[in-house]
Amino acid sequence: MESQLAELKASALARIAAAASAAELETIRVEVAGRKGSQLTELSKGMGKVPPADKGRIGKLFNETKTAIESALDARQAAFADAALNARLDAEWFDLTVPPPGVRPGALHPITIIQKEIEDLFTSMGFTVLSGPEVETEFNNFDALNIPPDHPARDMQDTFWLEGGHLLRTHTSPVQVRGMQRLGPPLRMIAPGRVFRNEEVDPSHEHTFYQLEGMMVDREVSVAHLIYYMKTLLQGIFKRDVTVRLRPGYFPFVEPGFELDIQCLLCGGKGCPVCKQSGWVELLPCGLVHPNVLRLGGIDPEQWNGFAFGLGLTRLAMMRYAIDDIRHLQGGDLCFLGQFA
Amino acid sequence: MKFSTNWLSELIDGGVNVNAAELAQLITTKTAEQEGVEAVGAHFAQVRVVRVIEAEPIAGSHNQRARIDTGAGEVTLVCGAPNCRAGLLTAWVPPGTTLDGGRAIGVARVSGVESHGMLASGAELGINKDDDGVVELTGVAPGEPLPGLSPDHVIEIDNKSLTHRPDLWGHLGMAREVAAITGRRVLDPVDPARLPAAAPAPFNVEIADHTLCPRYSALVFENVTVGPSPLWVQHRLQSIGLNPINNIVDVTNLLLAELPQPTHAFDADKLQGATIFVRRALAGEQMKALNQETYTLDDQALVIADAAGPIAVAGVIGGLDSGVTQTTTRIVLESANFQASSVRKTSSRLKVRTDASMRFEKSQDPHNTTRALARAIALLEAVCPGIRLVGGLIDNSAVLRTPPAIELPLDWLRRKLGRAVEGAEVRAILEALAFGVTEAQPGVFTVTVPTWRATKDTSIKEDLVEEVGRMLGYSSIPPTAPAVPATPPPANPERDYFHRLRAIATQQGFHEVYNYSFVNEPQVRELGLDPADHVRVLNPIASDQDLLRSTLLTGILRNVRDNARHLDEGRFFEIGYEIHKRAGGELPDETPHLAAAVYSKAGDGTAGLLEAKRLAQCLAPGAEVQAAASARAFEHPRRAYDLVCRGETIGRIFEFHPKLVEVGRAAIADLNLAVLQRAGQPAIRYSPLRRFPASDFDVSVLTALRTTAGEIQAHIAAHTGPLFQGVEYVTQYQGSPLPADRKSVSFRVTIGSAAHTLSNDEITAARESLMAALRTAGYELRG
Repeated sequence: MESQLAELKASALARIAAAASAAELETIRVEVAGRKGSQLTELSKGMGKVPPADKGRIGKLFNETKTAIESALDARQAAFADAALNARLDAEWFDLTVPPPGVRPGALHPITIIQKEIEDLFTSMGFTVLSGPEVETEFNNFDALNIPPDHPARDMQDTFWLEGGHLLRTHTSPVQVRGMQRLGPPLRMIAPGRVFRNEEVDPSHEHTFYQLEGMMVDREVSVAHLIYYMKTLLQGIFKRDVTVRLRPGYFPFVEPGFELDIQCLLCGGKGCPVCKQSGWVELLPCGLVHPNVLRLGGIDPEQWNGFAFGLGLTRLAMMRYAIDDIRHLQGGDLCFLGQFA
Repeated sequence: MKFSTNWLSELIDGGVNVNAAELAQLITTKTAEQEGVEAVGAHFAQVRVVRVIEAEPIAGSHNQRARIDTGAGEVTLVCGAPNCRAGLLTAWVPPGTTLDGGRAIGVARVSGVESHGMLASGAELGINKDDDGVVELTGVAPGEPLPGLSPDHVIEIDNKSLTHRPDLWGHLGMAREVAAITGRRVLDPVDPARLPAAAPAPFNVEIADHTLCPRYSALVFENVTVGPSPLWVQHRLQSIGLNPINNIVDVTNLLLAELPQPTHAFDADKLQGATIFVRRALAGEQMKALNQETYTLDDQALVIADAAGPIAVAGVIGGLDSGVTQTTTRIVLESANFQASSVRKTSSRLKVRTDASMRFEKSQDPHNTTRALARAIALLEAVCPGIRLVGGLIDNSAVLRTPPAIELPLDWLRRKLGRAVEGAEVRAILEALAFGVTEAQPGVFTVTVPTWRATKDTSIKEDLVEEVGRMLGYSSIPPTAPAVPATPPPANPERDYFHRLRAIATQQGFHEVYNYSFVNEPQVRELGLDPADHVRVLNPIASDQDLLRSTLLTGILRNVRDNARHLDEGRFFEIGYEIHKRAGGELPDETPHLAAAVYSKAGDGTAGLLEAKRLAQCLAPGAEVQAAASARAFEHPRRAYDLVCRGETIGRIFEFHPKLVEVGRAAIADLNLAVLQRAGQPAIRYSPLRRFPASDFDVSVLTALRTTAGEIQAHIAAHTGPLFQGVEYVTQYQGSPLPADRKSVSFRVTIGSAAHTLSNDEITAARESLMAALRTAGYELRG
């Protein structure tokens, strides 16, 4: 009995090790360790003839043999399953360098991107965003901004005149007038929008461009406050500390009026082609609101003060993205626009 | 406006004590914006007077070989000027000199002769435009520098930044600024004592309306010899961009560029009668002007006239016939003041802008007319020897108003600036700029305004904030956060909404375009629109940009065509305003729209239409399409659909008529955002999750080819009964084995109950009842 068990174990383990497939292994399992008629079952029938004194030892040996064969069968089966899985997964090799199906996201227009950033910046500081029409009255575009008819300042803004005496707004400043009338003091507002000047188009000039007007009216508003907001604005736009300077500038709707320059971000003020060697780049006109403008907006200039500024969104977008031809912005070329996604 | 630093220096006690580049920076930060600094006449440091000793022709050339006395020895050179002759005193440019414009003069062999430097013409030296021969000099000796000519710098100031400053259109005004900035004193070149005390010269001046001409002053001179001005006068004018003409005209230009009073010289012997009229022109009156143009005047133009008619358009341009010529011996020198807006209107109507009109339209100081005449006497004597006054000053003036004083509370000033400043400093600044300051009550200055600042520029205390602020330097003001309530600002729902739509459109793969507001008649007609319905631009930049867009589709169509040239497909959108004419002089209606396009070179266009629909439904959740009642001219006749959202027509989806798009197809969604925003989005409300499983079954309907799936689906939804939960389109099929005029459309219907799980019987019953309803409605069922 002992020798039969040893023989069976050796032959079974050899057959298991030599099995070539899961199916062959299954055949071996049935022949060697199956419930009925297998070699182990047949051997177990001989247990009755074993002398009682050996029963314990032989029984134990039988169980050991059975366990050894069964574990070998299980191990071999698991190995076949693993191999089969690996083979299947290997066949599933996939090249993910191909583009995903469906369209890729589109891009916002670069001016929209800049405009939205500045809108968010100002709304976070308590400014409301106002809109005004592109076609304006002569009164709102000029007279209410302290530019009466035949004032030479009208030459500063070549105007598209429309039938009916209206015009295409030459700046977003008329929204100041609308804002004062609508909101009343105190107020903080900005007004981005499309403006028009009758100018020939070339790589750096456009008859259609984008501005953002800003205005604050309160009891106490000083040049110091104006500088504060402008610095905050420019830090928000350029994401870094900027050095600004204010110098006199003439705009009839402010008094005093300023041109705000920033120290050239490219050369740091040393002088380069971008700043025309001056170290400064002219960025935005601003000033304290002229009392006539407050008055025409229905606000008492003895009680209220204000500042106003105008920012060229087109110019900012060109600076931000290093766009060298202004005509791209209205050109509708998807190869250009797609770059801002 | 160009400023000569030499000229400015002459008007400042001690001169300008900084270099030209620094000066330009100072002017920029304190007064007005500089546009550039240019060195002018640097060569005058080397150019010398020489005498031609002998000049002999060089055979085979038009040149002469000249020996010259330089005052420091003899030199030989070659000269091509016809007036080079023995004995001539002229200007020599020695070797090693660089002329303005960069031309370097050296020793060179010319016509076989070694030439040391060159003899120069007025044009070569930048003195004038005379290029006919070399400069001819008198009263000078070889070796001397050219009289009155020295290296200079010209600073160009942006005219726009001088719009409000009539005084800065002349050197005296700018010199006053520079003196104030650099802490020096300005020197007034005018000596009013020069005005003659004699009885007025025998000319009357009649002013019809003193509002248009507050003052007309004049002097009469005789024994006039008209000829070229001294070179220094010519160079001075030339370097600031004024053409030297003759000594008399040059003096008027000096006055204009210095004081800055425009003046005009008439030939007294050509005037008809002894009265000068300042009046409105008679409609249709004509005048031939100094620029050789003949102007037909309307009754708004102000003219200077004699008995025979206009002799000048007031403040704009003089007449040719009464002008100074080589034969003039007596002149009337006009120094007048005209209303700014009248000059501006006339000048823009006649389309003639002159140095005079540019100054008058900035509101010149009427006190300046006689000052200019006093200065003219001195200048004329210098450039026109022998000239004599006839009689005294002619001066017809309205009562000139004294500008009212301005109360300036110092505390208010400090609050406006946002920084502290001592009263003494404020006073010093204002006085340096010629304002008068008294402290009537403590802390409040009473400020009088100099007449040349009072015409328009300075009349209220805010104007003084600027004077003090700029001279203190704005960089001295510390940025300060204001104390304001930290409240959220009023919302702008429209703008927020547009930003949201932009985000959705880009997520759907559409690029944002910006198109022009300008369109033209052919573009409009191409879309079947009437040009007369469009707002017209009266002064378009080009004839093909003379209407305002009444639809975004003109731009979108252009984008489709442009991009089709180099792309196989593209998706883009624009948010912009349609501009529609309104009756009764009201501002036009501006309606916000979103127009989007899906362009594809390949395919039959249906994929694009579906994409356009998907975009529309993303932008307007709940929107559905309905076949349009009729297609517009630019729409594909069978592919035009209304877009309807909660009962409102919010826009249109269509394919551009293939005749408009040469290659490929373009599907368009055009949404009226005003209506869409009004139609709004219903508030989102949660509905309870179902507790019992729903069941579904498929229905296939056999129908005519042009029956829409939407129509069948609506029928199913309406006739499934109380258990109905939803119906979804699955697919459609046409072709064998179906008859040629039929298609099969399949739907999946979902039914269920909130109270229990449906039994098979219930499901079957619901299905059968739906089938029956469909059959009754005339649909054939399949399978």
